[in-house]
Amino acid sequence: MQHRLERALDELVQLNPGRDHRPHIGGDAIVVEALGKTYPDGTEAVRAVTFRVAAGECYGLLGPNGAGKSTTVGILGTLVRPTSGRANVAGFDVVAHPRHVRRRIGFAMQEVGIDAFATARELLVLQGRLYGLRRRESAHRAELLLAIVDLTDAADKRLGEFSGGMQRRVDLAAALMHLPAVLFLDEPSEGLDPRARAAIWHALDQLRQQLHITVVLTTHYMDEADRLCDRLGIIDRGTIVAENTPAALKASVGSDSLEDVYLHYTGHAFEPGDGTLVAMERAA
Amino acid sequence: MSAPASLLLAARTLVQFPRNPLLLGFSLAPVLMMFLVFGALFEGVTHLPGFPTDNYFEYLAPTAILLTTVPGIGNAAVALAADFQSRYIYKLLTTPISIGSIVLGRLIGDAVRLCVQAVAVLALAIALGAHVETGIPGAALMIALGTLLGIVTFGVLTANLALRTKDAAAVQAILPMAYLLIFLTSAYQQPEQIDSPVMRTIIEANPAEHVLRAMRELMLSGYDWPQLGIALAVILALGGIGIPLTVRNYRSVYR
Repeated sequence: MQHRLERALDELVQLNPGRDHRPHIGGDAIVVEALGKTYPDGTEAVRAVTFRVAAGECYGLLGPNGAGKSTTVGILGTLVRPTSGRANVAGFDVVAHPRHVRRRIGFAMQEVGIDAFATARELLVLQGRLYGLRRRESAHRAELLLAIVDLTDAADKRLGEFSGGMQRRVDLAAALMHLPAVLFLDEPSEGLDPRARAAIWHALDQLRQQLHITVVLTTHYMDEADRLCDRLGIIDRGTIVAENTPAALKASVGSDSLEDVYLHYTGHAFEPGDGTLVAMERAA
Repeated sequence: MSAPASLLLAARTLVQFPRNPLLLGFSLAPVLMMFLVFGALFEGVTHLPGFPTDNYFEYLAPTAILLTTVPGIGNAAVALAADFQSRYIYKLLTTPISIGSIVLGRLIGDAVRLCVQAVAVLALAIALGAHVETGIPGAALMIALGTLLGIVTFGVLTANLALRTKDAAAVQAILPMAYLLIFLTSAYQQPEQIDSPVMRTIIEANPAEHVLRAMRELMLSGYDWPQLGIALAVILALGGIGIPLTVRNYRSVYR
């Protein structure tokens, strides 16, 4: 299986199409300045969030559910309109030029969006074609990505028959079909078993290193943040309270645990469900 | 060159229909039953003086086409709302296509299905002795008019409801309203044979009536160009109101 995965990855890397769309290595792929989002019910989901992500970097937003991670990546992915501040992705403002941004991003969401009547292969081929790939090219990439996410054998089964973890892998493959310059992963390994999670992490590492894809991921898994991210932003109640490499963050509090980092910078222990409660209290 | 997004999404819709045979069966069965039942019930009106044909199924066939296309197009909106509920639409919204392409793709896919179903209805009418005066071109025009009316009336209405509510059940709840649009026409009887002047006024004011008249002329008499012009004008006017309204509602998709 590992051999098949490596071969598919190698072949995918050979395609390397979106080079023109890729920000220069060393430049900023994402610039976020004083970004804010207040929903019509008054819930302040994101407050003055500022960060930059270098091209080719993997940046993680670490925080509990409801902390503002998904809203932040939703804004960067052009699905949510900010109420203040600005954000620039792959060289384009997300509000002024959303279609330019969409052409350059891939987005795997926390709540997987799949078409239950389609097969995995059909969904991927359609996704590629919506990005302007020809049918044959799209079918070829779908084949490679299905191998990478270890779903070749289930390629022609309907997605409605897939488990949650399998759907998540298809969703990730769909986000990679056009080999985007920037990839947003909202809780990418939620619902995955350890083997699938390890496979996804490995594939992400390879794709990022060889294609220089910039990755922004949100997670409430400390091990995932530690393993994948070059830098982390600790997000609490809609704002980033600390930002650095995982090693530097841990060193700053004299611990080898990101839980301690979270406790130190937020003043409260990390509970994945905390933020939801906070957001609900705010809404009320 | 890559195909337009709306056509790619229409193809997605068409591929899915055979995988959902219940949709195909249950969307056609009531129309065929109504056609047979009303055909038998109202057969006697053909003996009234001035009735344009002695085969009631011939008179009823354009109505049966509208009964297929107008409520049937509501399925596009139900499916659109289902895409919101499954969150697949958000996947599509992160691609560089417009929400307009998504809605249009769905409508085109369902319109093709409705055309096929309308052909089945017409084939049944012909099997029951009906005759299309204008032949195959007229039959095709009749089905096209019925489908376009479905899109600009109920298609637009339900698509807007889907965009606003993002709830398939809410869209389904409004589907019976489509029958009202058709029943308030000369679907079963000629207006001059209806006693109530209020009903006659309502029928005259119903835009669907003017499209139905053009369709019926194609079925019974021939190409009535002025009536066809009126039908087309009605469709364009309704589209001119409905399509900008839909575009406006696209904004509600983004949170």
